[in-house]
Amino acid sequence: MTDTATAGGEAIRGENLVKAFGHVTALAGVSIRVNRGETLGILGDNGAGKSTLIKILTGYHQPDAGQVYVDGRSVRLDSVDEARALGIECVYQDLALVNAISVYHNMFLNRELLRGGPLRLLNHKEMRRRAAQALAEIGVDIPSVEVEVGTLSGGQRQAIAVARAVYSDARILLLDEPLAAMGAREARLIIGLIDRLKARGDIAIVMIAHNYAQTLEICDRIMLMQHGEVTFESAAATTSAEQLLDIVRREYRAARAG
Amino acid sequence: MSGRGEPGAEPRRGLARRAYGLLLRPEASVVVVSVALVLYFEIANANFVSAANLQTLTQFVAAPVIIACGEIMLLICREIDLSVGQVFALAPFLMENINDAGIPEPLAILAALAVCALIGLVIGLITIGLRVPSFITTLGMLFLITGLTLTISRGYPANTAGGPVLTGIMGEWAYSEILWALAIVAIMHTVLRHTRWGLHTIAIGGNIVAAAEAGVAINRIKIGNFVLTSTLGGFTGLLEAFRVGSIDPLAGGSNIMFLGVASGVIGGTAIAGGAGTIVGGLVGGIMLGVMQDGFTLQGINAFTFDIIIGAAILIAMVANIHLARLRGGGAS
Repeated sequence: MTDTATAGGEAIRGENLVKAFGHVTALAGVSIRVNRGETLGILGDNGAGKSTLIKILTGYHQPDAGQVYVDGRSVRLDSVDEARALGIECVYQDLALVNAISVYHNMFLNRELLRGGPLRLLNHKEMRRRAAQALAEIGVDIPSVEVEVGTLSGGQRQAIAVARAVYSDARILLLDEPLAAMGAREARLIIGLIDRLKARGDIAIVMIAHNYAQTLEICDRIMLMQHGEVTFESAAATTSAEQLLDIVRREYRAARAG
Repeated sequence: MSGRGEPGAEPRRGLARRAYGLLLRPEASVVVVSVALVLYFEIANANFVSAANLQTLTQFVAAPVIIACGEIMLLICREIDLSVGQVFALAPFLMENINDAGIPEPLAILAALAVCALIGLVIGLITIGLRVPSFITTLGMLFLITGLTLTISRGYPANTAGGPVLTGIMGEWAYSEILWALAIVAIMHTVLRHTRWGLHTIAIGGNIVAAAEAGVAINRIKIGNFVLTSTLGGFTGLLEAFRVGSIDPLAGGSNIMFLGVASGVIGGTAIAGGAGTIVGGLVGGIMLGVMQDGFTLQGINAFTFDIIIGAAILIAMVANIHLARLRGGGAS
């Protein structure tokens, strides 16, 4: 939030990203570009390469070929830490939260606040305070930051995972199926949260999703992936769910015929 | 915490619920059982609660509790060290041999501990680097270290060297071993609850994928906990050697290791990882010590003794697993 890049500028770009796992080609040359304040939705079947793409952008996987740019500068993302240092945060579909520890410990996992002094003890009090404040700021409602995450609902946990990413100064937020396995009310909670983040204008959001209608509602732009390639890209406002469904059906038939 | 969920709840009910919640904590239930056992043994023997017996009791408690401090850290991050009892036996011989080579005793102690730490490092590197389950790695190390100790000692016991002050500090003085144990408990409790190391250990056991995605240094933490456990095992072996005044190549062994693991599990550490407390290990160790000491006082013969202790450990562990279920969200 302290950088000079303004809303609308390019936040992250990947060019011709290729990734194979053994004989399986997960990405066969994918390019992606997202601006600040923009939300890009990536749709596609299981195995289309969406998660691989996200994991390359977070430094979890390294591409076999291709280049990633952050703020227009070419970067090497060799680890999650390196990507994080550039403001890239991901909320994975398996909810990278630890159920057995409290909400505030999860919010600060691996970037804990420490008390001064040589012992480097955890500053529980300050972490509790800041976690509660951060959750309140983006409107996440939970009973207490001291409860174990495992006692919360799926929507609340998802919201905490998103809040954690935003709190850690994420400027590029990657959401891996944020609405998966979520009831209508829980989904509204997350959609509301994403809307509030969009309104800030300084965060670029990339989300992977399955539900066409929801994705079109949340995102500014959508991208369709199939067998490791981008097969369709357009502005959400000029695209309908039927149109997307048509494209997917056609591809599916072509794949079966071929 | 339970009171906060319902701000409108009647305070007295909140208090009762909190007391109930506290009673369901494994540490609390173990304390209750320990107190009941102490009362029983006092009634049955009349001299259970005496200065002399208290000293005996602390000797039963100290060693398993120190071992438990290491094993709890490992269990929480879903590992185990079966060979810690063998490191326990090896350490005094290392110390003696280094001392015999002309190195002063205090330095020999440190050198022996360094070798124990190295053993932990090897266990960690094999387990993490070669992806061997720690159960297997340390099972192999168990036999390997036993052989090593027998080779170094040629199978004979030896006497501990060292001046009276050092010997006193290191275990000969009546309460020095339990003081060491309590100090280590205090330090390890702080490490587990109030440092990044402890929090990351819990996170790894609770959800290793989440820990990895948060960038937690999983391998470093796991290997570190192996080093810690072996070092504590060696240290306990040294304390016992100084207390007894002689060293035995067959001291410690799997017995002391399982007492350590049992102390942790009775005190609420989840075998499946992600949950556990050092204080639980302490009260678990105290309960086991009270039983061992009490039944010894009762004069139960050695064969029956193991049956009773074994059954008691089983009951305590089963009880705790079910208490965890009652609490809800228990990781066991």
